[in-house]
Amino acid sequence: MPMEYATIHSIFTVILFVAFIAFVIWAYSKKRKTDFDQAANLVFEDEQKAQQKTKQESDHE
Amino acid sequence: MSQTKSLNVDYNYSVVRLFALTTVLWGIVGMAVGVLIAAQLYWPALNFDTPWLTYSRLRPLHTNAVIFAFGTSALFATSYYIVQRTCQVRLFAEKLAMFTFWGWQAVIVSAIITLPMGLTSSKEYAELEWPIDILITLVWVSYAIVFFGTLVKRKTSHIYVANWFLGGFILTVAALHIVNSMAMPVSAFKSYSIYAGAVDAMIQWWYGHNAVGFLLTAGFLGMMYYFVPKQAGRPVYSYRLSIVHFWALIALYIWAGPHHLHYTALPDWTQSLGMVMSVVLFVPSWGGMINGIMTLSGAWHKLKTDPILRFLIVSLSFYGMSTFEGPMMAIKSVNALSHYTDWTIGHVHSGALGWVAMISIGAIYHLIPVLYNQGRMYSISLINTHFWLHTIGVVLYIVAMWISGITQGMMWRAVNTDGTLTYSFVQSLEASKPFYLMRFIGGVFVVAGMLLMAYNVYKTVRAKDETLQPVPAAA
Repeated sequence: MPMEYATIHSIFTVILFVAFIAFVIWAYSKKRKTDFDQAANLVFEDEQKAQQKTKQESDHE
Repeated sequence: MSQTKSLNVDYNYSVVRLFALTTVLWGIVGMAVGVLIAAQLYWPALNFDTPWLTYSRLRPLHTNAVIFAFGTSALFATSYYIVQRTCQVRLFAEKLAMFTFWGWQAVIVSAIITLPMGLTSSKEYAELEWPIDILITLVWVSYAIVFFGTLVKRKTSHIYVANWFLGGFILTVAALHIVNSMAMPVSAFKSYSIYAGAVDAMIQWWYGHNAVGFLLTAGFLGMMYYFVPKQAGRPVYSYRLSIVHFWALIALYIWAGPHHLHYTALPDWTQSLGMVMSVVLFVPSWGGMINGIMTLSGAWHKLKTDPILRFLIVSLSFYGMSTFEGPMMAIKSVNALSHYTDWTIGHVHSGALGWVAMISIGAIYHLIPVLYNQGRMYSISLINTHFWLHTIGVVLYIVAMWISGITQGMMWRAVNTDGTLTYSFVQSLEASKPFYLMRFIGGVFVVAGMLLMAYNVYKTVRAKDETLQPVPAAA
């Protein structure tokens, strides 16, 4: 038997834990801030379209 | 992305409308059956000595109707709406979307016929027999094709967080349903699970608790992440938190099932694992709740004037309450007291009536005017009345079950000095009886609120286009 189940599971748990921490750091990095702020406003984008129809605004995304 | 800006996307609302209306219809049916069986526990004669009106057959009908007819219709309606609006694109495979509607109605009608007949696989929340299970699978796979197809052809670069939750819900429910429903048919309406013994129990509660985690939680969180910001008129409190919330929640929920099998034939280590994972689950649950409620920070005054927003925010309070209660009840020593008592029923209903129903009702009140070209619902004050009826009903229900449940737990475990039981089972039933009346009254309040909703929706749908003007926002 190459490796005990318990060992494999322990390694897997550690990998998952590290991945999760890395993921949180990524989510909270300064670089992502503007992208996420934009994403948060996606909820209101559908209405802006309707307004643009009348106002003929020419803003770029 | 490089589309002409003035082009307004022509969203497919017809399937959304159908699901939104059936949400109200099945809500009334499912909750009314609930009130009937609550009444039967107080007045047993109400089964009229008729087999198909007995508690044992109507109880699964009640749970199936509220979870899969009411709740899931609300999820179909809102997910088809949210995915179109946040991807700024029309629904993919519209005929297939229509099939999901009629297919799902066929599933519901089959449940209404077969469950009172006593045809059941006897797996909780998965009682429907194998031919219906196959239909559910077909509808669900079609649902996934429509939803993910729409995501693929989206016009936005980012996939909004609500769609992550909804996508997670759709995929996981497919896996849960298919794995748990594996059975050997012996006749047209009878089958046996392919799993045996403790494995069967574990598969069942892996399914059962993830129906809670992915259908009743992740799906409705998707709803929350769209309708709370929308109704509040401000973006979600923290988008970063919402992403961490998603991954943490789905990674943990899948392990929580064994807490339904404490002190059973399930191996001890599995029980302990389930307990630990359930307790940890408290963290992402409250992260999500705080994220939703804090979306309102700086705009709390809106709660005073907007009963729809109140439905949404109070639903989050109930969510917070039941996701605190749940991890606590998953601790083995607490579970030793609470399991098999009415406390569990109270817990489920604080989640189901408080969280799931209130967020759905709020979302439907938001949706109906948009779907039928109106500025608002026919009557805002009726929404307000509905809010209070529902809230009072839920509180009566939960409090009754807490008292009854803890009383039962204490009486069942009480022993005399010689080791014999202090109370007989009938004595504990007598102690619970007044609270069964209180629960019944709470249920009547909830159904009364739903009837008001149906009237309000009917008047809004029948009103001439754009005759109902939005109320100007309070200063």
